[in-house]
Amino acid sequence: MRKMHKYGKDVPFSLTSMMDMMTIILVFLIKNVDTEGQLITQAQNLILPVSTSKVQPKEVSLGITVDNQYVVVDNQKIIPTADVLAQSDLLIAKVDSVLKERRQTEQEHNLKAGLPADEAGNIIIQIDKNIPYDAMYKVMATCGFSGYTNIAFAVLMKNGGEE
Amino acid sequence: MAREIKEPAEVQEPDLLPAMGLFTILIPLLLTMTAFSKLAIVEINLPERSMMNMSNDAPPEPDEQALNLSLAITDQYVVIGARGGFQPNIYYKEMWSFRCKSDNQLVTYSPDDVKATVAAGHGPKCKDGSEIDKEHYLYQLENIELWYIDKTSDEDPGRVLWGVYTSHEAGVPDSILVDGNNSFLATQGEGNLGLNPPASLKKPGAGVAVATLTPNSARRLKPEDAAKLIVYPLSAYDEIAKELIQIHTAFIDLEDVDNIIIVANDDTQFDKVIALMDRAKSAGFTKINLAKLGG
Repeated sequence: MRKMHKYGKDVPFSLTSMMDMMTIILVFLIKNVDTEGQLITQAQNLILPVSTSKVQPKEVSLGITVDNQYVVVDNQKIIPTADVLAQSDLLIAKVDSVLKERRQTEQEHNLKAGLPADEAGNIIIQIDKNIPYDAMYKVMATCGFSGYTNIAFAVLMKNGGEE
Repeated sequence: MAREIKEPAEVQEPDLLPAMGLFTILIPLLLTMTAFSKLAIVEINLPERSMMNMSNDAPPEPDEQALNLSLAITDQYVVIGARGGFQPNIYYKEMWSFRCKSDNQLVTYSPDDVKATVAAGHGPKCKDGSEIDKEHYLYQLENIELWYIDKTSDEDPGRVLWGVYTSHEAGVPDSILVDGNNSFLATQGEGNLGLNPPASLKKPGAGVAVATLTPNSARRLKPEDAAKLIVYPLSAYDEIAKELIQIHTAFIDLEDVDNIIIVANDDTQFDKVIALMDRAKSAGFTKINLAKLGG
């Protein structure tokens, strides 16, 4: 006859191992936490190049993204990247009209706020590391033509920013 | 009278539930604030339209005293130009390093091999035998390496140079080592095109004085650092960095010593342009302009 096991007491639920795991996760997250906040977030569908630069953007700026498929201004798809590469003209007309509109709005806002409106506009460009120089150069030239001459390229910090 | 031996009291575990509650709140909060890949920016200033010369007048005469430094990259070589002349071409062999998801190891192939493999219906092979997804292999491209090729003429196929590098991760080069004369610890590779590491290139041992291209980096190697040194193909970027540092130091008195124009052809990947900008900034060139080859 099979022997019956009897449990006289309730088996206690041990939280110690769970605590160990959570402590490790907590320490890891505290190490990686960014208290200053990020003014730029990496766009999807692209890989940024790695750089030794540690310069952080000082203010929120208009963003342009160039991936394998589209040129995107402020989360709005403007023109396929293939069309940019195919055109011989340096100026990308569709992007230029959107940027000029945005620049005008910025200048009006600055005037209302009593700030100088004739300063060069700031723009951050996120370009996939494999995009040809031709597309990058046309986007950059269009930004300059629209009044955004303070151009910054977004990059990933080398070794995650650690020495 | 015999003393009664007391039974040990049952050990009471501390009540961890409040601490667990705190952790459960803290972890999601920190997750929202955590940056796993830190972003930075590389600034570049275009001339403002008001500063451009819009008239049809003849352009001003070039300043013969100015350095007028440029750095041009083509699909075969990089060349530094100044005052209308050019230094010898720095030839390179382009190689692509992929990070395999299956084993987290790096594999390096030439772009032609990768394209041929993909055209044959396969993805680049990892060290564990698995294949990288042939549709999205470019998303796993971690580094575009330019291996320096020592060649005497355009016709000469040349040989790959190998150097001694520091390394943070096994097999991944970090900084090239130089000796007291600021020469790379490097020599030509063996076998066809010098693709095999040279047996004659010895890694310096612990206690030997070495430096990198970073200023004031001279030091004696500690045993743990000496153990991490690797022999790896010399990067053309390192050769450029060395020459740019020398130029910036030699012409420090000139007015335009901080200016450099990076010139590239249409097909050059953006990654290479950023890598060149990095080297130029490290060498002290703070005002970087971009231009097109033949444009």
